[in-house]
Amino acid sequence: MHKFLSEGPLTAEQLSCLMSQMNDRSDTGGHSLFIGQVRADIVNNKSVEAIEYSAYESMVNDEAERIIAQIKTEFTDVKIVEILHSTGIVKAGEVSLAVMVSAGHRHQAIQACSKTVELIKERLPVWKKELLEDNSHIWRDNRG
Amino acid sequence: MFFGVLAEVTGTSFLYFSGVRTLSDLRQRITDKHPEIVHYNFRIAVNSLFTDDDCALSDGDEVALLPPFAGG
Repeated sequence: MHKFLSEGPLTAEQLSCLMSQMNDRSDTGGHSLFIGQVRADIVNNKSVEAIEYSAYESMVNDEAERIIAQIKTEFTDVKIVEILHSTGIVKAGEVSLAVMVSAGHRHQAIQACSKTVELIKERLPVWKKELLEDNSHIWRDNRG
Repeated sequence: MFFGVLAEVTGTSFLYFSGVRTLSDLRQRITDKHPEIVHYNFRIAVNSLFTDDDCALSDGDEVALLPPFAGG
Protein backbone atom coordinates (compact mmCIF):
# COMPACT_ATOMS: atom_id res chain seq x y z
CA MET A 1 0.00 0.00 0.00
CA HIS A 2 1.21 3.49 -0.84
CA LYS A 3 2.35 5.35 2.26
CA PHE A 4 0.98 8.89 2.41
CA LEU A 5 1.87 9.71 6.01
CA SER A 6 5.24 10.43 7.55
CA GLU A 7 6.07 10.97 11.21
CA GLY A 8 7.43 14.46 11.97
CA PRO A 9 8.37 17.23 9.54
CA LEU A 10 8.97 16.36 5.91
CA THR A 11 12.66 16.47 5.10
CA ALA A 12 14.56 17.78 2.10
CA GLU A 13 15.46 14.19 1.33
CA GLN A 14 11.79 13.18 1.23
CA LEU A 15 10.95 16.12 -1.05
CA SER A 16 13.83 15.20 -3.29
CA CYS A 17 12.59 11.62 -3.40
CA LEU A 18 9.13 12.84 -4.45
CA MET A 19 10.62 14.90 -7.25
CA SER A 20 12.76 12.00 -8.39
CA GLN A 21 9.54 10.33 -9.57
CA MET A 22 9.93 12.36 -12.74
CA ASN A 23 13.24 10.71 -13.55
CA ASP A 24 13.37 8.22 -16.37
CA ARG A 25 10.04 9.39 -17.80
CA SER A 26 9.69 10.79 -21.25
CA ASP A 27 5.91 11.36 -21.26
CA THR A 28 5.88 14.26 -18.77
CA GLY A 29 6.69 17.83 -19.69
CA GLY A 30 5.44 19.83 -16.70
CA HIS A 31 5.60 19.33 -12.95
CA SER A 32 3.86 21.28 -10.19
CA LEU A 33 5.02 21.04 -6.59
CA PHE A 34 3.09 22.36 -3.58
CA ILE A 35 4.81 22.53 -0.20
CA GLY A 36 2.82 23.34 2.92
CA GLN A 37 4.72 24.89 5.82
CA VAL A 38 3.68 25.53 9.42
CA ARG A 39 3.21 29.26 10.10
CA ALA A 40 3.95 30.91 13.41
CA ASP A 41 0.50 32.51 13.54
CA ILE A 42 -0.47 34.69 16.48
CA VAL A 43 -3.52 33.28 18.25
CA ASN A 44 -5.00 35.15 21.21
CA ASN A 45 -1.74 37.13 21.43
CA LYS A 46 0.26 33.90 21.61
CA SER A 47 2.56 32.50 18.98
CA VAL A 48 1.98 29.09 17.40
CA GLU A 49 5.15 27.14 18.09
CA ALA A 50 4.16 23.90 16.38
CA ILE A 51 1.27 21.85 15.06
CA GLU A 52 0.55 18.34 16.22
CA TYR A 53 -1.11 16.36 13.43
CA SER A 54 -3.10 13.20 13.97
CA ALA A 55 -4.71 11.03 11.33
CA TYR A 56 -6.97 8.06 10.70
CA GLU A 57 -4.25 6.23 8.84
CA SER A 58 -6.16 3.48 7.08
CA MET A 59 -8.75 5.98 5.84
CA VAL A 60 -6.04 8.43 4.79
CA ASN A 61 -4.58 5.73 2.58
CA ASP A 62 -7.98 4.87 1.08
CA GLU A 63 -9.03 8.49 0.61
CA ALA A 64 -5.69 9.57 -0.86
CA GLU A 65 -5.99 6.78 -3.43
CA ARG A 66 -9.51 8.01 -4.27
CA ILE A 67 -8.26 11.59 -4.62
CA ILE A 68 -5.47 10.49 -6.95
CA ALA A 69 -7.92 8.45 -9.04
CA GLN A 70 -10.29 11.43 -9.25
CA ILE A 71 -7.50 13.78 -10.32
CA LYS A 72 -6.31 11.39 -13.02
CA THR A 73 -9.90 11.06 -14.28
CA GLU A 74 -10.53 14.82 -14.35
CA PHE A 75 -7.11 15.74 -15.77
CA THR A 76 -6.38 13.20 -18.45
CA ASP A 77 -2.91 14.60 -19.16
CA VAL A 78 -1.76 13.89 -15.57
CA LYS A 79 0.69 11.01 -15.21
CA ILE A 80 1.85 11.22 -11.58
CA VAL A 81 0.23 12.43 -8.35
CA GLU A 82 2.30 12.20 -5.19
CA ILE A 83 0.99 13.12 -1.72
CA LEU A 84 2.94 13.14 1.53
CA HIS A 85 1.54 14.52 4.81
CA SER A 86 3.12 14.74 8.24
CA THR A 87 1.78 13.26 11.45
CA GLY A 88 3.00 14.13 14.93
CA ILE A 89 4.66 17.41 15.84
CA VAL A 90 5.86 19.82 13.16
CA LYS A 91 7.43 23.06 14.36
CA ALA A 92 6.78 26.49 12.86
CA GLY A 93 8.88 26.85 9.75
CA GLU A 94 8.96 23.14 9.04
CA VAL A 95 7.17 21.39 6.19
CA SER A 96 4.04 19.29 6.76
CA LEU A 97 2.60 18.65 3.28
CA ALA A 98 4.00 17.97 -0.15
CA VAL A 99 2.04 17.39 -3.34
CA MET A 100 3.63 16.85 -6.70
CA VAL A 101 1.72 16.47 -9.94
CA SER A 102 3.34 15.66 -13.24
CA ALA A 103 1.58 15.96 -16.57
CA GLY A 104 2.31 16.06 -20.21
CA HIS A 105 1.86 19.84 -20.21
CA ARG A 106 2.12 22.59 -17.60
CA HIS A 107 -1.49 23.79 -17.46
CA GLN A 108 -2.89 20.48 -16.27
CA ALA A 109 0.03 19.96 -13.91
CA ILE A 110 -0.63 23.31 -12.19
CA GLN A 111 -4.43 23.01 -12.14
CA ALA A 112 -4.38 19.40 -10.96
CA CYS A 113 -1.89 20.19 -8.19
CA SER A 114 -4.12 23.00 -6.91
CA LYS A 115 -7.19 20.74 -7.03
CA THR A 116 -5.33 17.96 -5.23
CA VAL A 117 -4.42 20.30 -2.35
CA GLU A 118 -8.05 21.44 -2.05
CA LEU A 119 -9.28 17.84 -2.00
CA ILE A 120 -6.71 16.96 0.67
CA LYS A 121 -7.98 19.77 2.86
CA GLU A 122 -11.58 18.74 2.27
CA ARG A 123 -11.37 14.96 2.44
CA LEU A 124 -8.24 13.65 4.10
CA PRO A 125 -8.97 12.60 7.70
CA VAL A 126 -6.20 14.58 9.35
CA TRP A 127 -6.53 16.85 12.40
CA LYS A 128 -4.30 19.55 13.75
CA LYS A 129 -3.72 20.91 17.19
CA GLU A 130 -1.89 24.23 17.32
CA LEU A 131 0.58 24.25 20.19
CA LEU A 132 1.00 27.75 21.61
CA GLU A 133 3.95 29.34 23.36
CA ASP A 134 2.29 29.14 26.80
CA ASN A 135 1.75 25.35 26.42
CA SER A 136 -1.96 25.77 25.72
CA HIS A 137 -3.44 24.45 22.47
CA ILE A 138 -6.24 25.04 19.99
CA TRP A 139 -7.87 22.56 17.62
CA ARG A 140 -8.14 23.94 14.09
CA ASP A 141 -10.11 22.79 11.09
CA ASN A 142 -10.36 23.74 7.43
CA ARG A 143 -13.89 25.14 7.49
CA GLY A 144 -14.36 28.73 6.45
CA MET B 1 -12.78 5.26 17.17
CA PHE B 2 -12.38 8.88 18.21
CA PHE B 3 -10.10 11.37 16.54
CA GLY B 4 -8.92 14.92 17.06
CA VAL B 5 -10.83 16.91 19.62
CA LEU B 6 -13.22 13.99 20.21
CA ALA B 7 -10.35 11.81 21.43
CA GLU B 8 -9.38 14.61 23.78
CA VAL B 9 -12.84 15.22 25.28
CA THR B 10 -13.64 11.53 25.67
CA GLY B 11 -10.16 10.70 26.94
CA THR B 12 -9.89 7.70 24.64
CA SER B 13 -9.26 6.73 21.03
CA PHE B 14 -11.08 3.40 21.07
CA LEU B 15 -14.26 1.99 22.52
CA TYR B 16 -15.49 -1.54 21.97
CA PHE B 17 -19.18 -2.48 21.93
CA SER B 18 -20.78 -5.82 21.30
CA GLY B 19 -24.28 -6.65 20.20
CA VAL B 20 -24.78 -3.37 18.34
CA ARG B 21 -27.05 -3.86 15.34
CA THR B 22 -27.31 -0.40 13.78
CA LEU B 23 -25.41 2.85 13.61
CA SER B 24 -28.15 4.67 15.48
CA ASP B 25 -27.89 2.09 18.29
CA LEU B 26 -24.15 2.72 18.42
CA ARG B 27 -24.59 6.51 18.51
CA GLN B 28 -26.93 6.10 21.46
CA ARG B 29 -24.48 3.83 23.28
CA ILE B 30 -21.68 6.31 22.72
CA THR B 31 -23.64 9.36 23.83
CA ASP B 32 -24.83 7.48 26.93
CA LYS B 33 -21.18 6.94 27.84
CA HIS B 34 -19.85 10.30 26.63
CA PRO B 35 -22.73 12.82 26.56
CA GLU B 36 -20.25 15.66 26.01
CA ILE B 37 -19.77 14.69 22.35
CA VAL B 38 -23.19 16.11 21.40
CA HIS B 39 -21.59 19.55 21.60
CA TYR B 40 -19.18 18.75 18.74
CA ASN B 41 -19.62 18.44 15.00
CA PHE B 42 -18.51 15.19 13.46
CA ARG B 43 -19.15 12.85 10.54
CA ILE B 44 -19.15 9.09 10.73
CA ALA B 45 -17.24 6.56 8.66
CA VAL B 46 -17.94 2.84 8.74
CA ASN B 47 -14.96 0.79 7.62
CA SER B 48 -13.32 3.94 6.21
CA LEU B 49 -16.34 5.02 4.16
CA PHE B 50 -18.41 8.08 5.03
CA THR B 51 -22.02 7.46 5.85
CA ASP B 52 -24.76 9.96 6.53
CA ASP B 53 -27.44 7.35 7.06
CA ASP B 54 -28.30 4.79 9.64
CA CYS B 55 -27.00 1.40 8.59
CA ALA B 56 -26.71 -2.14 9.87
CA LEU B 57 -23.54 -3.05 11.72
CA SER B 58 -21.82 -6.39 12.06
CA ASP B 59 -19.26 -7.70 14.51
CA GLY B 60 -15.84 -6.35 13.59
CA ASP B 61 -17.08 -3.21 11.84
CA GLU B 62 -14.86 -0.20 12.48
CA VAL B 63 -16.80 2.98 13.14
CA ALA B 64 -14.95 6.29 13.29
CA LEU B 65 -16.25 9.63 14.59
CA LEU B 66 -14.52 12.28 12.54
CA PRO B 67 -14.40 15.96 13.54
CA PRO B 68 -13.96 18.50 10.71
CA PHE B 69 -10.71 17.81 8.88
CA ALA B 70 -7.64 20.00 9.13
CA GLY B 71 -5.07 18.54 6.79
CA GLY B 72 -2.56 20.68 4.98
